[in-house]
Amino acid sequence: MSENTTATTSRGVPVEDPTPFGWLTTADHKRTGRLFIISSMLYLVLGVFLDLLVRLDLTSATDFVSLGSDGFAQGFTFSRETLTLLFLIPAFLGVAIYMVPLQIGAPNLAFPRAATASFWSWQVSGVVLIGAYLGNGGPYGGWANGVDLHLLALGGLVVSLLLGSIAVATTVMTMRSPGLYLDATPPFAWSALVSASMLVVSLPVLLGQIGILYIDHRYGRVFLAGNYGIWERIDWIHRTPQLFIYVVPILGVTAEIVLATAKRRVFEPLAMYFTLGLVGLFGFGAWANFSVTGEGADIIDGLEGVVLVGLYAGAFLGTAGLLGLLGLALIQNRKMPKITTSVLAALGAGTLILFGALYGLIGAAADWLEIAGRGNDGNPQLRMTTWVTGQQSVLIYGAGLLGLLAAVHWWAPKIWGRQLNDLLGMLSFLVIGAGALLAFLGPALSGLFTEQPDFVYADPNATANYASWVDDNGAETFSVIGVAGVVILLGGVGLLLLNLLISVGMKKGVTAGEDPWSAQSPEWMLPSPPPIGEPDELPTLVSGTPLLDAAEAEEASV
Amino acid sequence: MTDTAPTLASGGPQRPRAQLVATGFACAACSMMMAGALGLYMARRHASGPHPGHDWLNGLAVPNPQMVYALLTLVASMVTAHWALWASRRRDNAHAWTAIATTIVLGLGFINMVMYSLNRMGLEIGAGEYQNLAFATTGLALAIVVVGLVYLGLMGLRSLGGSVGQQGSTALGAAVFFWDFAALAWAATWYTVYVVK
Repeated sequence: MSENTTATTSRGVPVEDPTPFGWLTTADHKRTGRLFIISSMLYLVLGVFLDLLVRLDLTSATDFVSLGSDGFAQGFTFSRETLTLLFLIPAFLGVAIYMVPLQIGAPNLAFPRAATASFWSWQVSGVVLIGAYLGNGGPYGGWANGVDLHLLALGGLVVSLLLGSIAVATTVMTMRSPGLYLDATPPFAWSALVSASMLVVSLPVLLGQIGILYIDHRYGRVFLAGNYGIWERIDWIHRTPQLFIYVVPILGVTAEIVLATAKRRVFEPLAMYFTLGLVGLFGFGAWANFSVTGEGADIIDGLEGVVLVGLYAGAFLGTAGLLGLLGLALIQNRKMPKITTSVLAALGAGTLILFGALYGLIGAAADWLEIAGRGNDGNPQLRMTTWVTGQQSVLIYGAGLLGLLAAVHWWAPKIWGRQLNDLLGMLSFLVIGAGALLAFLGPALSGLFTEQPDFVYADPNATANYASWVDDNGAETFSVIGVAGVVILLGGVGLLLLNLLISVGMKKGVTAGEDPWSAQSPEWMLPSPPPIGEPDELPTLVSGTPLLDAAEAEEASV
Repeated sequence: MTDTAPTLASGGPQRPRAQLVATGFACAACSMMMAGALGLYMARRHASGPHPGHDWLNGLAVPNPQMVYALLTLVASMVTAHWALWASRRRDNAHAWTAIATTIVLGLGFINMVMYSLNRMGLEIGAGEYQNLAFATTGLALAIVVVGLVYLGLMGLRSLGGSVGQQGSTALGAAVFFWDFAALAWAATWYTVYVVK
């Protein structure tokens, strides 16, 4: 990786250790951000691979074809935990840790060492989590001490991510350049604040539950039946509406890239901040369904049904409002924007979040209003079928991966000093898009038409629980479509990693100047990449679009 | 630098309230942690059977006077913590040291009282659903109190060890804020688990 180094800083800040050991003890947000981004990408490969094995198992109702009857449940829980706690949240936390200080004119993150501690404790917890699963210690596992270890690892992951989130949120709140008010921050910095704040008030609920589950599982298992009650209570962090909190930064990436490409400000900044906040706000409250009531399939009854419909509707309106504002900016430009990987991926990710919210709204409304007998006469609610896997595929694979593709392509010059290969990027976009589409379609159609169960909390290892859909037409075909999607997706992830390896690792990418995109936000005023350590000079900002302001002033003077 | 871009200036110190804001976020996180734990407690309590008429406590008797004394001790420590902050803002080291030391002693006394109460109550882990839930929720609340105590001690040493200036007061103010929150978290736990039960 290309790095400039500074020997001293003007403000008496300790100089960064440029040796590999320096990565362990770094107090530089750029190093910590890179560590998070790269590590989460590697965990992504693991998560997608595990999901592939799980989906292979669901291609047959009478047998578990890949993981086997002992491993299916743990494969399922492992893949979900990997895709959210080891990929989606930390990937965008990493981007925020890297970019936010640069975007708001701060010399560093508010608590840079806390962010580094966050990364390493996250990494250690991740390894412990994998170790627990390898020892048959996940939920539904047979190694009791391993299950305890799994719960401790989950707690460690949550604490680590909270530490990083608090550092990011505090940075946006208190470290902005003196003239840069909160209502003028770049959209990504604002989205990072929204997402981090909502993580701070939602993920700790899991921590409280883990405390109780750990005590009960370790001592007596008084109210947990074996360890079967664990997953039912913690599954909410992998589902919507909680997933909307994780994808808010992706909307920030979309806004950042679209506005810079359109070379326009959003016509009403407060509306943009409001819509981003709305999506985060309506992701809150997911924990109240599964975790507190613990009633599983009855969650849509009564008030919960209205609440869920309201949460999805709020997320949909927020996303639609934001995309509408961005669309207006594109129209105002009156020129065809330059189509790059980051623009395509950003637009794709934003649209998929909108679709994910609409899809959730339709499902929740169908369950609530008992359309086509949902929830009655033995018909499972859509949320209990692979319909929900479809939504997870849209948000994690579709929006999450395309959002990451957009962010990495857009900010690669600022992170590594080189531009990624755009042709390879376009190919990644197409492959990831196609894979995500199939990965969504298979389970969504299967859930809708064959009522294939997504997961059975009571005894997920018993094939009899999945046999109800064996005679239904097309269930296995739908599952195969999903498997094909995940295989293609794995190829797309491989292409992205290959692009990084060639362009950055092997230094074949074009060396970037300060502002290769003619963008508008403050980070593009700094060298690419900014030197490690705290800078001697900082931009004095009064706006989140200083480069656009300057260009317009220059145009006006001519 | 980009020609059209505004110039870069030497970065001065940023806004100094980062620690207070971060402490606020930490308090929000801890309150949601307790909400999650107490929510699960209440859900299980609700599911366990009618009240009264069901022996949810498995024959245990909560030592109410001791628990109330413990809470009052914590309230007293909040007063002394604010005394420390008041003194530090006036650069009165002697009073600030005395107040911080008193707060820490009261905090340790509170923990001791709670442990005594739990022993007297005979709360045995693994003996029943109430026992496990009470042990876990009390443990989480006590963990917040211990973190608050350590935070207060560290910030006290940091702010008073050097010169007590505006920044030192802000750091101590953040710790006092967390201590107030810890007392509140304990009060909520005490009321849910040992009063309403």
